[in-house]
Amino acid sequence: MGAVNTTQILDIIEKANLVKDTHALDHSKSLREQGMDSLDFSAVLFNVEEVFGIVIPDSDIDGLQAINDIVAYVNTKLSN
Amino acid sequence: MTGILQIGIYLPETKVSNLDLLEKFETDENFIRDKIGVVSRAQKLPEQKASDLCIKAFENLQAKIAFNLEEIECCAVVTQNPDFNIPHTSAIVHGALGLPENCACFDISLGCSGYVYALSVVIAFMQANDMKKGLLFTSDPYSDIVDVNDKNTALIFGDGATVTLLGADATLIPIGFDFGSKGAGYKNLINEGKLFMNGRAIFNFTSTIVPISVNKLLDKLQLNKEDIDRWYLHQGSKYIVDTISMRLGLERDKVVFDMYEYGNTISSSIPILLSTDLEFFKTGQKIGLSGFGVGLSWASAVLLKK
Repeated sequence: MGAVNTTQILDIIEKANLVKDTHALDHSKSLREQGMDSLDFSAVLFNVEEVFGIVIPDSDIDGLQAINDIVAYVNTKLSN
Repeated sequence: MTGILQIGIYLPETKVSNLDLLEKFETDENFIRDKIGVVSRAQKLPEQKASDLCIKAFENLQAKIAFNLEEIECCAVVTQNPDFNIPHTSAIVHGALGLPENCACFDISLGCSGYVYALSVVIAFMQANDMKKGLLFTSDPYSDIVDVNDKNTALIFGDGATVTLLGADATLIPIGFDFGSKGAGYKNLINEGKLFMNGRAIFNFTSTIVPISVNKLLDKLQLNKEDIDRWYLHQGSKYIVDTISMRLGLERDKVVFDMYEYGNTISSSIPILLSTDLEFFKTGQKIGLSGFGVGLSWASAVLLKK
């Protein structure tokens, strides 16, 4: 698999109906601060795990608040 | 064929409003209604035990269908919050109801998957032993174990009980089951003094396994999801029912949801929903059930209205 980009993460969020307008999201800002609740945030991580075949331990979640964080994390996981 | 004749239910009169806890848990009404799906939780009296709720459900059953206590040959209680560790709660219920001495009694220690498991276990037990009528109770009062300061659990669970009258001449019968366990995940929903739930792990587990279980069962029965007329998923939360429905591609108006006024009642959640709809099932209709949760454990079934 090639490098994961923000479009792929936004696509996951859109397909899961987790945000009304993914284009309005700030990629560097915490999703929770942009109005996403805890359940939808868990669903984002679940869908990311499922699509990319990775496991995100609870201990890594604090560092995955923004879309840019998630992109970097997934790429690190996939390259290891 | 042994199956469901009637279902009695009991929901305690006391209702605790989640809307009074918005400030405490830093949440809002939309989240309570649209995500958790529990506006108020039924709560038993502190002195009530699982068997007391069973008796109340039995009274409701008696009001719905006439039967002779002497005909009852089997009494099972699904609970993980029994009256005592010893004896089994079904023995206490047996005594309280004055059931006959030839009645077999046993408890089934399962949570949210418990009703579906128990349908299979008790029906098979009855059929193997040529029993004509039996009672299957669910009663798992989580108010005794929930930490009222834990946001993960304090807004979800309600108390309730049900009793299903099973009979050898029933017209609502199971035609297939799927069961499973993932014991390696047991710590994600555990009571070690107070209930602990890793919400994320449970969400991941249920979102993954329930569609797999349901599809596996449908394949086994050579059915499509469109062949199922109504779906009764365990009412874990509105979010999980919505997620599972979406992942299975179910027509949303076929999926029953109704926990707003009483909460997640563990193994009682499916029979509470069924009790409302029993009289409306038409011959030939198929009903899908799936219970999932603590263990981690799951069970799915399809019922047929003959």
